[in-house]
Amino acid sequence: MSIQEYFRPQSIEEATRLLADQAQGSLILAGGTLAMPLINDGISMPEMVLGLKDSGLNYIKDQDKYLVIGATATLSQMASQTKISMLSEAALAVGGWAIRNMATVGGNFFAPPPGGDFTAALLALDAEITFVSSQGERTIAVKDFFTGFLTNSMAPGEIIKEVRVPFPEGKTAFTKYGRRHANTPSIVAIAANLGYQSEKVSKARIALNAVGPYPLRAVMTEDYLLGKSLTEQVIQEAGEIAAGECSPFTDAIASEWYRRKMVPVILGRTLEQIGD
Amino acid sequence: MSERTLNVVGKSVPRRDGMGHVTGKTVFVNDIRFPDMLYLKMVRSSVPHAKILNVDFSAAEKVPGYVRALTHEDVPKNIYTILTLIGVGPDEEYVLAEDKVRYIGEPIAAVLAETEEAAMEAAAQVRLELEELPAVFDVEEALKPGAPILKEWGTNYFVYEGHHCRRVRFGDVEQGFNEADFIVEDRYQTSPIEHAPSETTGCIAKPEADGRITIFSNTQALFFTLDNAAIILQVPFQKLHLVGGTVGGGFGGKVDVIVEPISALAAMKTNRPVKYVFSRQEEMQASSSRGAWRMYFKDGVTKDGRIVARKITTYADAGAYNRHTPYAVTKHAANIAGPYRIPNVWIDAHCVYTNKQPGSAMRGFGVTPASFALEMQMDKIAKVVGMDPWEIRFLNAYRDGDMKPHQKVVEDATLIEVMQAAAQLVGHDLPENLMQMKSGNGKEA
Amino acid sequence: MSVRIVNFTLNGRNIDVMVKPLTTLQKLLREHLNYTATKTGCKQGSCGSCTVLVNGEPMVSCLLPVEDIVGKNVLTLEGLSDNGDLHPIQESFFELFAVQCGYCTPGMIMVSKALLDHNPDPNRDEILDALTGNYCRCTGYEPIIRAVEESARRLNLAGEGV
Repeated sequence: MSIQEYFRPQSIEEATRLLADQAQGSLILAGGTLAMPLINDGISMPEMVLGLKDSGLNYIKDQDKYLVIGATATLSQMASQTKISMLSEAALAVGGWAIRNMATVGGNFFAPPPGGDFTAALLALDAEITFVSSQGERTIAVKDFFTGFLTNSMAPGEIIKEVRVPFPEGKTAFTKYGRRHANTPSIVAIAANLGYQSEKVSKARIALNAVGPYPLRAVMTEDYLLGKSLTEQVIQEAGEIAAGECSPFTDAIASEWYRRKMVPVILGRTLEQIGD
Repeated sequence: MSERTLNVVGKSVPRRDGMGHVTGKTVFVNDIRFPDMLYLKMVRSSVPHAKILNVDFSAAEKVPGYVRALTHEDVPKNIYTILTLIGVGPDEEYVLAEDKVRYIGEPIAAVLAETEEAAMEAAAQVRLELEELPAVFDVEEALKPGAPILKEWGTNYFVYEGHHCRRVRFGDVEQGFNEADFIVEDRYQTSPIEHAPSETTGCIAKPEADGRITIFSNTQALFFTLDNAAIILQVPFQKLHLVGGTVGGGFGGKVDVIVEPISALAAMKTNRPVKYVFSRQEEMQASSSRGAWRMYFKDGVTKDGRIVARKITTYADAGAYNRHTPYAVTKHAANIAGPYRIPNVWIDAHCVYTNKQPGSAMRGFGVTPASFALEMQMDKIAKVVGMDPWEIRFLNAYRDGDMKPHQKVVEDATLIEVMQAAAQLVGHDLPENLMQMKSGNGKEA
Repeated sequence: MSVRIVNFTLNGRNIDVMVKPLTTLQKLLREHLNYTATKTGCKQGSCGSCTVLVNGEPMVSCLLPVEDIVGKNVLTLEGLSDNGDLHPIQESFFELFAVQCGYCTPGMIMVSKALLDHNPDPNRDEILDALTGNYCRCTGYEPIIRAVEESARRLNLAGEGV
């Protein structure tokens, strides 16, 4: 059955109204970098598709303490914005130039592992995500978005409206390790934000990507770092804790064993960067 | 011939097809379209080893745009082998699977439809009833008693003139080991590689008004393809007209005769042009790879660095079908002892079948894995004996007039001269005695 | 099924096309309009051989529905040369042997054009970053990088004459 309808709502209101009504059950399309490959290969054969490119979700607003980013802002836009450097670094970790011109902030939430590098940065920055449906809006922490492998807490009829990213305090660092220098799936990617008080870590957020069913916070590692200085010893210990609290998988890119082995190495590099 | 008569040597000559490439005017197979053209999509096995119990087209037939399907019953000579043209047999690969499948991706049925999307959908709707069989994925496991057997003749190896492998016997290796001061052993393993050309494998078969079939193909081997296709279709060779030579990356991955016979058959059955182009997934997972090789070396070496005995046992992973591997193994056996003078050599080179995607040609296949193992082994010998790795090679390099293990006299040996030139190019200073060595009579450094 | 008429500019010409829902730009170009310079290598957005410029930005046409380029400017390799004269990028690729089988070439040239339009004097790292979404299986990339450097040189020389 070929695609019968490609809805292209021209506003958020039209998008949610369609989703509640004639476009119910449609496949949602933003940049197309995740959905179109599946459609092209005949793996996904939707009857209806709803495209969000023109529905008013592409914006970046500086709202005092937060950067508010619409769901269809592209990763190229994220790469070139200068307000939050870690978002730029994380965006540049995804794909090549053409892909970044098309891929979106909202779409990265649905990138199957080892994808999701950009979302990991949002996770480390304590961002919030707002969904919208014909029933209204709903906001949760990004850390509560994922519920399992390829499952999330969005409800039927909802789409992602925007993410709200607090301007980070302290220092940030993002490190991606893949088989190639660029345009490559991650073996391990780490986003970190550390806050300091009198040279000791007062706040730690460490997000790990590609070493679990979805981007995850290394909460035990974060707890460990609180109140400590980033000495070589501390960084090493943190690495071992992180290696223990992630659940890597084996795929065509890397084995579970290798991913787990690289977690402390990449975390070490990330924390050293922050320590500088 | 004097230098004045050279028009091309030493000059930069622009590529004949360069202009077409930079303007986008070069025509590749998938750029071609004909009116009333049908699209062929292949139904493939999703398991590595199984009996085919049933193939049900009823759901596929209901897809709008579906035209028809082809099974092995439609193919005039369904069982073939690509090297039959050079006398290598037996026929053991199926254009379309009959009662069994032997690798994930093996073609079972060809579905034809009016559009590419309809063909994809119809192929996805074909219901396969497969009874899985135990499968084997390791070359040595495949040769053990009790291993699942792939071939009708009851073994998992290619038979070389009555033997279970390609064999080289030269001198007496056991005697050589007795004379040696060191025994250096190791196991080497290469991985299969996918050619991954930018352009996927494909062809268009077009029936002409005069009864011939024109096949536009991106094969690297037009004559191979023409002859094998004619044999499979059981038609006179002159019925087929192969048009090609524009290959968007081959590297050996487009020398097997895979898409043309079934496309030509489909064109004959429907009297319409038929296009069959691999998707990227098919190219990665179903098309032939460069097969993996496992190689065991046992060398006997004297304390002054001479290799006096070399015993090599190797296993080529042909995957489920022959294709070019039997030929590769022969080349491999002739080369794996290396360009070295060794008085005692024993080689057993096996061509083994496993339930994997068939291996085939890729850039020096058979010899490239051999070179890897061989030269790693030479470095290892240098370490064990405590000699410089350059020196080990100079010392053991064969010279003009030496006898190679497979009974061919060395002519025009140049390993020594090439190493001398290479050392100079990389700025490595060789000791004088090595710089003075020569491969044979009248050779200049 | 809603067939749509889409108006956009292709290689400088304003055109109207009629498409079924979610028809990709790649399919429109290659199969409906017979502009086959834009290639198909993977249909996954991975290989870059289908790269075209949309309002000057590289995009992979295999993932781009035609309805999403309404009113935009699309440039393909066919639109690169002016009155049959080769663009300096085409000349450089040809003369420096940056082409072998030719299949990645259209994508490589289009991305190079976008790069040099954005950044007329890129360093090697910037060239690598720009080309990272385009695969070549033949050349080993070095001749292509040199061709881009040469293109920059020729374009800057030409600019100086203006």
